[in-house]
Parts: sequence; C-alpha cells; structure tokens
Amino acid sequence: MASEDELNLLVIVMDVNPIWWGQQAQRDMSESTECLDAVMVMGNSHMAMTTTNRLAVISSHFQDSHFLYPCKNWTGGDGAWDGTMDEAPYCGDGKYELLSVANNVVAEEMKRVMSTTEMKGNSTDTLLAGSLAKALCCILLQKIVTFFSAGQEMKSRILVIKTAEDCARQYMNFMNVIFAAQKQNILIDACVLDSDSGLLQQACDITGGLYLKIPQKIALAQYLLWVFLPDLEQRPQLVLPPPVHVDYRAACFCHRNLIEIGYVCSVCLSIFCNFSPICTTCETAFKIQLPQMMKSKKKKLKQSI
Amino acid sequence: MAVYVKDLIRISHNWVDTHTCDVTTRGWILRLLINITASVVYPPLDDSCPSTTMASLSEEVLLVLKKVRQRKQDGTLYLMAERIAWGPEGKDRFTVSHLYSDIRCQKISPDGKAKIQLQLVLHTGESSTFHFSNDSSALTDREAAKDLLQQLLPKFKKKANKELEEKNRMLQEDPVLFQLYKDLVVSQVISAEEFWANRMSTTNTENTLSDKKQDVGISAAFLADIRPQTDGCNGLRYNLTPDIIESIFRTYPAVQQKYGENVPHNLTEKEFWTRFFQSHYFHRDRISTGALDIFSECAKQDEKGNVTHLELYRYIRSGVLNVLTAEGLPKEKKIGGKPASTSNPNRTGKENSNSAIIKRFNHHSAMILAAGSRRGDAPNDQASETSSTDGNSRDSDLFQPPIKKVWWSIDYLDLQREDGPKTVALNLKKSDRYAHGPVPLESQKYTTSQDIINSITCIRHEMANYVPNLAQVLTSSAVSSAIAALSPGGVLMQTGTQQAINQMVPSEVQGELKHLYIAAGELLRHFWTCFPVNSPFLEEKVVKMRSNLERFQMTKLRPFQEKVQRQYLSANITGHLEEMLQTAYNKLHAWQTRRMMRKI
Repeated sequence: MASEDELNLLVIVMDVNPIWWGQQAQRDMSESTECLDAVMVMGNSHMAMTTTNRLAVISSHFQDSHFLYPCKNWTGGDGAWDGTMDEAPYCGDGKYELLSVANNVVAEEMKRVMSTTEMKGNSTDTLLAGSLAKALCCILLQKIVTFFSAGQEMKSRILVIKTAEDCARQYMNFMNVIFAAQKQNILIDACVLDSDSGLLQQACDITGGLYLKIPQKIALAQYLLWVFLPDLEQRPQLVLPPPVHVDYRAACFCHRNLIEIGYVCSVCLSIFCNFSPICTTCETAFKIQLPQMMKSKKKKLKQSI
Repeated sequence: MAVYVKDLIRISHNWVDTHTCDVTTRGWILRLLINITASVVYPPLDDSCPSTTMASLSEEVLLVLKKVRQRKQDGTLYLMAERIAWGPEGKDRFTVSHLYSDIRCQKISPDGKAKIQLQLVLHTGESSTFHFSNDSSALTDREAAKDLLQQLLPKFKKKANKELEEKNRMLQEDPVLFQLYKDLVVSQVISAEEFWANRMSTTNTENTLSDKKQDVGISAAFLADIRPQTDGCNGLRYNLTPDIIESIFRTYPAVQQKYGENVPHNLTEKEFWTRFFQSHYFHRDRISTGALDIFSECAKQDEKGNVTHLELYRYIRSGVLNVLTAEGLPKEKKIGGKPASTSNPNRTGKENSNSAIIKRFNHHSAMILAAGSRRGDAPNDQASETSSTDGNSRDSDLFQPPIKKVWWSIDYLDLQREDGPKTVALNLKKSDRYAHGPVPLESQKYTTSQDIINSITCIRHEMANYVPNLAQVLTSSAVSSAIAALSPGGVLMQTGTQQAINQMVPSEVQGELKHLYIAAGELLRHFWTCFPVNSPFLEEKVVKMRSNLERFQMTKLRPFQEKVQRQYLSANITGHLEEMLQTAYNKLHAWQTRRMMRKI
C-alpha cells in the first residue's frame, strides 16, 4: 500500500492530432468526444483515489504541445494544483470541486486548441517526443517543489494515449526522452487506439510500463480504468495483460527495412541489408579477400526485461 | 638363433665371473654382449609377463650383481636403464622385474646387521627384498646398487608423479572439468586417455616455462660474514668455505686471475689466502705498501675502474659528458661550491681516508652488482680489453665512434614520433540517417491535402459543440466485452502462458540438464574434430565416438528424459540434445556411405 504521504503524479499525454480525429469523426460522429470523456473519467478517478494524487494533462498536436490542465489561462487563480480557488464555477451535481474544475478546464482548453488549429507547414505528425519532454519537465519541477516545500517524495508516471502513427523523424528525441525517464524511474504507459507503435513499445519495455493496444474505442474508459489506474506498487498483485514482445530489430539505412542479420560498417557503424564495397555514409572502401568473408553482424532479438 | 644367444650369454656370465672382480668392468662387458644380442630383433620387454627372458633384452645394463638372494633363492641382480630385475641362478629368465617409475622408495638394512639387504617398495605397496650374500663384497655390492638407484629413481619418479599431480590439480581447480570427468569417465562413456588426450597438450607448455630457475646472486656481506676468530695467540683465524671463495672470485675477477696465476705454482691455497687477508688490498685503508704485495696490482686495476683524467678527456671529446656534474676536470670551478676533485692537495688526511673508504664501499657494491650481471658474459670477459677488471659496462660504449655516441645519448624514447596504429578518419556524408528510427520510410497511409482540410474542419466543428458528458461514457455491453477481453484467457491476455517454462522446471532438473549439455558438448566436440577424416586413426576415432555418443544417449540422456516426463511436464526439454546427436549420426552415416561408394 502506498503510504499516506506519498504524492503520485499522473501525466496524461493525449494525442489530439486533428487529422486522425477528423477522419475518425467522418466515419463515426460521436467517437472523438467520447474518447475525451473517457480520458477525463480516468483523470477524475486518479484524483479521487487519494487526496495526494495529482494530475496533469497535455495535448499533443502537430503544431505544439499544450498543457490542458493545469493551465495558466484559466481565470480561476493559481490554486489549480491544490484545489483552492476564489470562485468555483458551480457544477450542479455535487461533485468534488477539484474534479469539476479539472473537467471544465480540460474541456475549455481542448476547444481552444482545436479552434486554433491551422495547417501551416507540411508536417502532419504529432509532436509526441516534445510532449513527453514537457511531461518530464513538469514532473521534475513538481518533484523539486514538493521535495523542498513539503519534504515529500513524489512518484510519477506518464500515460500516453496514442492515435496517429509514429513519426520517424522524432526517433532520436524519443529515445532520449525514454532513457531520461528510465533514469528518473518514471513509468511510461501506452494505450494505443489505432496502429501499433514500435517506439512506444520500446518505451514501455525500457521504463517498465504497460503497453496496450485496444480493440475498440467505445470502451476506452473501461480499459483505462482497468489497466492504467493502478500504480506501480499495486500492479504486481493484479492480473494484467502480459508484456508485449518488443521488436528491437534495427532498420537498415538504405531501405529502412527491419533486419535481423545485416552488414555493419566498422567505421561509422551504419547498418545495411546488402553488401556494398563502399559505405555510403562515410565512404570507406572495404577491402575483402573473398566474397564470403564479409563483415556481418548478427542482430539478436533483445529479451524483454 | 635364440638358443645360441642364450647360451652365449650364460657362458659369458661365467667367464666374466671368473675373470673379473671389478663390478664396473663386469657391467661393461655384459653391456657389450647385450648390445650385440640386441642387434637381433627381439620382442620388447613386457612387464605384464612375470618372467622375461634375458635374451629378449633391448635395454642397456648398468650394473650386474651376483650372489643376490631373493626369497631364499640365489640369483643375479641386474640394474638397467629403466628397470631393475633379478633372475635366479642358472636360469636365464627374470622372475622379478620392476620399472623405476613403479618404485616408490628403497630401504637398506642398518649397518650393524649381519644380513645385508636392500628393499624396494613400490607404489602399489608391494615390496621386494634382495639379500646380498656375496661373502667378500656384499656391502660394496649393496652400496653400489643403492647409489645407482638413488641416482636413477628421482628421474623416473618425477615423470610419473608429475603427470598425475598435474591431472589432479586440473581437476581440483576446475569444477566444471571435474563434473565432466565424473560424467564421462567414471560412468565409462569414454576412457580416461581420450579425456586427457586433448587437455594435456595445453598444460605441457606451461610446465616448461616454470622450470626456468633464477640464478642465486651474491650476498653483499659475504666478506663480512667470514668473521675472523681470534686464535688465542694474537692471530686471526679465517674460515673460508667454497661458497665464500666463489663469491670472492665472482666479485673480484682480479683476485681470481691472481689465484689462477699463483696457485698451485707458487703458493699453496692456504698461503694464497693468508696473503690475501694480510694484504692491504683487503683492509679498509688501502695505502699501498710496496710492490711485493701480489695484490697491489689488483688495487691498481680497481683504481682504473674509477674515472681517471684520461677517461674524462675521452668523455669530453665524445661529447657525451654532462659538464655540470663532472668531477675532476682540471679547469673546474664550480659556481658557489668547493671543487670536489679528489686530487686536491689541500684536503686533510682524515677527509682523504673517509673518501677512500667511501670509494672502496661504492666500488665493492658496484663489483657485486656487476658480478650478477656479468654472469652471462663471463667467457667473453677475458677477451675484452680493459673492461674485465672493473665490471663497468659503459666501457664498451666508449669504443664507439663519437658521432654515434652523441646520437645514442640524445635519443630518448619520448621524443620520438609516435607510431600509433593507423586509424581511419570518420567522414560522415549522410549523418541524418542515424536519426531515422526503425520506422518504414514511406508511411502506408497517404492523405491528400483535401482530406486533411476536411478532417480538420470536421473535428473543429465537432469540438466546438463539445460538452463533457461523463455519466454516459460507457455502455454496459461495451464494458462487459472489454472486461472479457482483459480477463485471463481473453483476447488481450494470450501471451502470458507461454513464458513460464523455466519456472515450471525446478532448478535441480535445470542443473542436471546443464551437466548433460556440457558432457554432450565434450563428446560432440571430439566427434566433429575428426572431420575431415584424413587418417586411419581418425577413422577409428570417428567410429569409436559414435559408439560413445550412443552409449551416452542410452546411459544418461534417456533416463533423464524419462524422469522428467514422469515427474513434471510434457515439455520436451531434451529435444535439442537429441537433435544434435542425430545430426552427428547422420553425418557419420553419410560419410560411411560415401566411402563405400568410392570403394566401389
């Protein structure tokens, strides 16, 4: 059991790529808003578990990453974290005020984000690596603040709800974020709605979180509550979906195919699927005696930790 | 032919007995005879056969002793190159024959006893006793036998024991090897020779390296250790052991030279040493007394070792001299200090004697060090011109041409250009390739720009009218299907059961499996190294290995498999081992069929 004094911060990083959501909305009108509802239910449940639980929600867009909650723009004052506020908008259903405030803020901010969406550049990829980096910064800041003000330890984890596909250009940043999270003992969980994401599988494997691909979106809230609500200490006592077998194969530099056995240049360590006498990355010429005796490296599939 | 030779030997024995009494002569003549007979081919001596014909000897006989009784029977004792044997009188067979390597030790009866005996104790614990009953020469015979055995036994003992010791040590040091030995040899899957055949070759090279011993150096206090004792009447008595004499000769070759010149022509050894100790050469203050002292020349030679003016000039000319620290320069004038030249007449007598002692002391230490390093060069020393007396190794360098000496003196290792390994410079042309993740370059989905605009508009429209409705976010049917998927056995829980095999098998079974793998690996290694089969030895070995593998499968693998199946689980954890063995069998079968086809 988590001690009473321990703070738990859950950061939900939600992928709100409008293109994907728009395509989904064109097929089925109600799903997109329901997903947002499900995320809010998850956030409320987390905050309702103990009073020391905290929540942050970040929206991940192709333009930017934005903190939906807690938010500076909200006019209710600075007390977003601990629930004290000057004027609470009356919700009408007797809910714990923190929860209603959170919901309202998230809804407002979401609307604002969507209304200010513009297609400026060419990129339609979600800036997930950036959002994760922001989440890490938020966690770190909170850790320092609580440590120095209240002397308490803070445990935190990140829940990523992913919709669109992986962006290959963010790979380096993504890996850096993952390793930073691992160093700080921050879990990264992933709930994937549409297509499998290799990067998130790696992230969950490395940091010790859970990866789940959901078969249907309408029961998203149930999946979130069942799998992602328990925190790290409680998970070993529950029967949760087993870890996924992660594909750690490297991609060759020429075609970006995932390969198990390939050729590695000994100078620049670039990976190729076919032998060529000159490395195209560093332009080293390889001296070989026989065609069979080429440098080859066997890539083993890494065991899940 | 054999009969004739036997008779010849018997006759010659009798002749030798009657005509010679010297043991060595007897032995020599017999050896000659045996060698003659050995030129005819005889079967080699077989130890397992209890009685061996004398005529079938092919070894050298070192000593023959007659009238040696064994078990109350008269006979002759033969000591040969590798064995000791005894044959009864009149017969030409050896009834007792022991290899020297089998003999653990020899014992002799005490001197006072009437019976003069020699007992040989073997490694197995058995013993044979020989009673020397020759009236005149029993004691000398026994002593001769004992001495010869004393020389020979250690040689053979070392060989036999060393191997066993080595094997034991290897088994003790490596528990995996020990286990392997237990699995394979103790259970008789393969024989001990095969097991050790591969391993002993690696250890022999190590042994030869450790045999090199270090030479013993000279103690620096050897002269002081002589410790003269007062004789009672105002004399001194010096005890000189051969060790001390050797040390003196090694350190001071000049003394050795004098010794060689004077002893034994002019002086006896005693006189030489007396003079040595009396001479002022030996004493602390070397003030030269006169030309009568044969050791004054040694003193002069020693002085030569110190740098003289002549040599100083030589140094200067060669350009090697370090001017700041030079001593004894005629024009020297050290800045701010007294000149340190020993030729300064202003020094007091005491200073002179002090410096003389110190010089002597340093010289003595230098000679000792030089003696240690001179060991390898000793024969060359006599030939070199001036360097034989002072052990100064720099002497040899002085005879090099000057320019070479200059180069030699300014050549420092640090100043040389570093010749590191050749490296290739990294020159990346397309470094953005590294940043690309393991994601296919072309995304599968392609969206047109019109699609994009449509999507954005649609979602914007929808979100504008968004009101959170949290109470109706789930329907019960959706929830129940989700719960079903997440329960054990559900859609999302499928991969959990496959990973538990290593938890289902207990650790002892895993340990046994490991041992099986190690043993099988060893056997398979022997098997596969036989290919390609080039020699008849390898052919035999291959077939033998196949039978070994089969035996291993029968005795070890099958019972293990059955045990596992009976007790624990139906998982096939020995499948891979079976596969490896089957591959080996297939290979052998293929090879055999190919061989038969070739023969046909």
